Amino acid sequence: MVEHGDIRVVHCGGSKLNFRDPVITHDSRFLLCASGEAVKVFSTSTEECIHELRGHTGLVTGVLLRPSNHLQVYSSSLDGTVRLWDFTDGILIKTCVIGYPIYSFYASAKHENVIFIVTSMPSEKRAERFQLVAVHLPQSGDQLVEARELSAVLSGVNPNPAAIAFGRGVRIRRHKDNKKGGWNTFTCVACHPKDDCIATGHEDGKIRLWRNFNHKKEYTYSTLHWHHSAVSSLCFTPEGTNLLSGGVESVLIQWRYKQESERDFLPRLGAAITHITVSPDGSLFCTSHSDNKITIIQSCVKVSAVIQGLVKGDSIRTDLMMDPRSKALVLNGKPGHLQFYSLQRDKLLYNLDIVQQEYIHESGLQQFEVVKAAFDASGLWLATVEERHQKAAELELNLKLWAFDEQTQSFVLNTTISAPHDAQITAMSFRQTADSQTTLLVSTSKDGHFKAWQLAAPAHTEDEGPSWLCDFVGAYHGLVPECCSFSADGSLLAVAFQEVVTVWSPATWELLTTLSQPPGAVSDLCFGRLSCSKYLLGTTASNLLCCWNLLTCSLEWSTSMDVRRLLVDPLSENMAAFCYQSGSTDLFVFKPSEPRPLFSRKAVCSGKVTQAVFAPREEMLESCEESSQWLNRSQLYFLTQQMVNNISSSTCFLFSPLKLVIDDSVAMTPFYLLLGKHRQQQQEHRDSDSSLWAERTALPQTSASIKELLQTPAHVLPSTSYLCSMFVQSLLISVSDAREEKAHAEEEMESEKEEEDSEEEMESSRSKPELVAAATESDAPALTKAQARELRRVRKLDHSWLAGLLDS
Amino acid sequence: MAADGGSSSLQLPCVFSPKSRQFLALCAQDGRLRIWNTDSKTLHQEYVPSAHLSATCTCIAWGPCRTVKEGPQRKKRKSEAVQVEEKADLLAMGTAAGTVLIYSTAKGALHCTLDGAHSGGVNCVQWHPEESLLYSGSDDTNIVEWDLQTGKTRSKWKADRAAVTSLCVSPDGKLLLSAGHIIKMWDLDTKEVYRKFTGHSTAVTTLRFATTRPPDSNGLYFLSGAAHDRLLSVWQVREDGKDKNSVVSFTLTDEPQHIDLVTSNSKEEAVRLAVVCKDGQLHLFEHFLNGPCKKPLSPSCTVQMSDTKESPMPIPLLAAVLGADTRTVMLAYGSHLQPVMEKVEINTAERHVCLTRDVQTTLSLSMETTVSKVKTPIVNAKSKVLVPGLPGHQAPLKGTSQGSEKRKKDTDTKEMSIAERLGEIDLSTISEKGASKGTASLQTDNFAVLLVQGLESNDASILNKVFQTRKDMVIKKTVARLPLSAVLPLVEETKLWQKPLWVLSCCLLKCFYLQLIHLCIQQLPDLVTQLGVLYHVIESRVKMFHKLTKLHGKLYLLMTQVSANICKCPPRSLLFDV
Repeated sequence: MVEHGDIRVVHCGGSKLNFRDPVITHDSRFLLCASGEAVKVFSTSTEECIHELRGHTGLVTGVLLRPSNHLQVYSSSLDGTVRLWDFTDGILIKTCVIGYPIYSFYASAKHENVIFIVTSMPSEKRAERFQLVAVHLPQSGDQLVEARELSAVLSGVNPNPAAIAFGRGVRIRRHKDNKKGGWNTFTCVACHPKDDCIATGHEDGKIRLWRNFNHKKEYTYSTLHWHHSAVSSLCFTPEGTNLLSGGVESVLIQWRYKQESERDFLPRLGAAITHITVSPDGSLFCTSHSDNKITIIQSCVKVSAVIQGLVKGDSIRTDLMMDPRSKALVLNGKPGHLQFYSLQRDKLLYNLDIVQQEYIHESGLQQFEVVKAAFDASGLWLATVEERHQKAAELELNLKLWAFDEQTQSFVLNTTISAPHDAQITAMSFRQTADSQTTLLVSTSKDGHFKAWQLAAPAHTEDEGPSWLCDFVGAYHGLVPECCSFSADGSLLAVAFQEVVTVWSPATWELLTTLSQPPGAVSDLCFGRLSCSKYLLGTTASNLLCCWNLLTCSLEWSTSMDVRRLLVDPLSENMAAFCYQSGSTDLFVFKPSEPRPLFSRKAVCSGKVTQAVFAPREEMLESCEESSQWLNRSQLYFLTQQMVNNISSSTCFLFSPLKLVIDDSVAMTPFYLLLGKHRQQQQEHRDSDSSLWAERTALPQTSASIKELLQTPAHVLPSTSYLCSMFVQSLLISVSDAREEKAHAEEEMESEKEEEDSEEEMESSRSKPELVAAATESDAPALTKAQARELRRVRKLDHSWLAGLLDS
Repeated sequence: MAADGGSSSLQLPCVFSPKSRQFLALCAQDGRLRIWNTDSKTLHQEYVPSAHLSATCTCIAWGPCRTVKEGPQRKKRKSEAVQVEEKADLLAMGTAAGTVLIYSTAKGALHCTLDGAHSGGVNCVQWHPEESLLYSGSDDTNIVEWDLQTGKTRSKWKADRAAVTSLCVSPDGKLLLSAGHIIKMWDLDTKEVYRKFTGHSTAVTTLRFATTRPPDSNGLYFLSGAAHDRLLSVWQVREDGKDKNSVVSFTLTDEPQHIDLVTSNSKEEAVRLAVVCKDGQLHLFEHFLNGPCKKPLSPSCTVQMSDTKESPMPIPLLAAVLGADTRTVMLAYGSHLQPVMEKVEINTAERHVCLTRDVQTTLSLSMETTVSKVKTPIVNAKSKVLVPGLPGHQAPLKGTSQGSEKRKKDTDTKEMSIAERLGEIDLSTISEKGASKGTASLQTDNFAVLLVQGLESNDASILNKVFQTRKDMVIKKTVARLPLSAVLPLVEETKLWQKPLWVLSCCLLKCFYLQLIHLCIQQLPDLVTQLGVLYHVIESRVKMFHKLTKLHGKLYLLMTQVSANICKCPPRSLLFDV
């Protein structure tokens, strides 16, 4: 690692391998596949990634061997370039700029230096129509050339690469939704290398072999039927003796050409087949699968190697976790499995079979899926929730608790709890204590309860070991708990019931206190650690990040940020917040106790980041630079979901400490909020639009009395008549207040100290809400005073940070 | 010397890859090279050298980690540079025939063969830490320096009168240690002897540099181990040249088989040493190297492994490497053909640590993973299943002390006895149902006596019979006539019901328990916690009742259809299994 360092985002893996069909080289030693913005070269015998061909700035959409030179390969990308590589050494030979995003591309040995690309029609506004274009690649020795000779071949083609195939002659076949009856939609096409025959796959699972296609209108066809649902890929072997087909059944079928009744099957390939390719010499087949896997199969229909990438299904419902034992990233992978992924090596270690039921490869079936998982601090216990959602009413839930057995080096099922809750489980958390004696798991559910599960010896003392029993069922006013968190020492449990955060003592199951920040439900909760353990942080749906002090049970500060993910570093007191703002995600790293963030970075990536994790380092780094010290103990990984051309590709990033520039104009939120509480947000509105009406509507919210009203627990509030009068008072003052504001506009040179005094006053008045609330109506002028001071102060505050935010 | 050389070749080479310890290279008795992945604990590669039986592999050394190539396109876009961890790739194998094979793990194929320089078997290969050079020591008393870029010999010199059994290149790449008859230190630039050390009486099998300090400050130490020698010797390279004899020695229980060492960079840093002996034990040492120490040092911690059988047998350790953390050690144990790799945290405060492992199960689990990459966790009969209604599925009800006091007061104020209450219920039921059945048949209208008998004798068949009753009247009467002493055993009995299918028949019965419970609570306040469980049972089963009746209805429908069609087609057993 470089010492003089910058902090930057580094792509560290997890990209899709099954996006486009892979290519096997002539000598069958290497396999090339498009993977995100790079082309990966794998060894077919060892499954190892040998080179990564990097250079494209967009998603790579195709890889093709150069017909004239078998040691070179073309790759096309959405960035509008075609690049030529030497894959044995991993060197970029030539870049050819075409200028239009390329969705797929083809080459033929008959056409020297011509490639055919599929690109969107330039005339169309909506990029939904595509055309096939022949591009003549210029012959020059330069590294960077621009292709200008373009000629359109066909328009209105399907961007799916399976829809176009090359035949023997100068023939391109295109299919696009040629509906012949209800289910006859074409899904893929393949041309026989020698005969005048074309194979097409259909949505209804049939394969049709069309012959005599060159004679117009005289073609005949025969039908092969084995697949029960759509044929997703078809491929002829180089000699044309066999036809390979695959689909969602995850069975590879080898049909004998002209003896179609004979066929070989290779079942149990694990997931739906998306692409099939054959090596040029016919000795190897390879299939890519929907679970981001490439299987290399010998021509005797025997699996020889499996290249497995990060499995990312429809959604990552378990969130990202680190296995404390193996330091692997854990998330849900294949249906019913938890995957363990090595971040250091960008390699899947293994899938842990949680559900242990045969997965039926059929679309539309509802099957058990792992939706939640949690590890305890030592890695001794693993809790998993599996769920099957058949109909809206019937929900099957299982909570399984696995113990790690040292002797067999494997997880052993300890307890299965069927139907632990009546509705979906929203969060699950282990108590993180150093001593593993009193293990406690809390699960919150949409049925309005949270349950605490405890490891206990069975009552009838038989030879059984300890198992998990329910210890406590908690609820709060019938609200739905959304998230839960244990404090670092395990002495407190915070459960967020919509807008209310309840703090419980796990020892006695007493409700200690409730905290609330009314507008918006709390979506994320975490306790501070080490020196900041007195703070509890939460994010609300109304774009607030709140920090409560647990000693005073009051709000310490809050800030308006659209925090998508808040997470705490397990090894330090640092916290990271991913905020979504205008199409990109910003990252802030801060200590709850410190006013300034340790690190902030605008637009770490485009799109939303909802999954992130701190991974502890094997060795602590000794970085002297203050700005990158937060990365000394752990690394931060986050998962993005790039939506490119409606194809989601997942990428993982890692921060490596290299360099950091702190922009002072963006000097940041917790600081100004320590001063400004959260009223700042409303003040922004006021500054930005100066209309009196806006001001007035904003005022009641900012008024301290309203604040009191909303923050005080309902049971200590005075009668409504009191509140009503207060409320009306606060509304009335707004006009005079505005006047006052003007009057004070000149006196902006007030000392900072006084500022803080007033701040403290506010603080004290807040910490005793009962007092204020119980006071007589004569309190109202005092409130207005405070309010006036507040306004004055707010006017004085520097809003340059806002400018910085808006500019950047 | 020849005999010693023979004994050392019996040791099967077993080496972890450098830095991240991702791989374990092992040459087993069958002459095949196997590379195991320590992350997934699976076989990564197997390579059979063409002459694996005649020219067996005698030594293995991992090359320096592969560095990512700095292509021209990388420089342009530095922000996108990959932070890929360096991967161990090349592996050098010395063979008994005198050749050195370079194997690439990334490609899974032989990279090149270096031959023609040795006339005897190769005893030791060592990589140069920086340049692409390889050193090999052989039985023919020569040391050969190979240039890997050309694949040719760069220089060759006679090192000793006896066979060269061990080599070691210093971390800065300037010095080379060789062990033959004596231990010699060579200057690699001039290929001249820099120092000589006495060495061991038997063939030296291991040489390791223990510090990275320069030799001119008296701070350079190295370590040597020999066949049949239960001492590891540490030698100091001193400025004054008075360094013929060893300064420190470490005691072992057997001859060293595998040594791993964390070098110290300064005087304040201790050298950490993990030695696996031939008897399968691991010894951990920690020592500050700062001059001679007369007494042999004993290990700070000894690790042994045993299996889980009734009479535990030791599992031999094959190799051990130290982690970055002082407590973590990566172990390889079991047989050479199928080793088990594991990263353990060892409590170094204890002198002796014994780890018990079930090697058979571990292996069978990891073998499955190799192909499918799916690990199946163990699910055995010991695991408990909690279904709704079982104790523990809901939080236990705890009768608060306050509540029980209240109830006690209640019982004081209310003077009705349980018998009277039961009598009341009895009367009411009779009066409700009228006189038609009330006095009809005394012997069949309740099962109270039978139930009590069943509970006392714990006879399942009797209890079954009672619980399967479906007649409302009979159940009512049974409940009413049940003596108080039988209530507790009944509650216990119901707690043990674990089959949800029973619910259907017993649900009604349970509803009547409620009456009873109301009565009992007032009489026996300490019952609250016990009956709490029953309450949960009833609650969950009432919840299930709706679903079960639905299921029952469906089943009934199926059955009737099946029986209607039974003449047309044979019944499917599947339908009955629902």
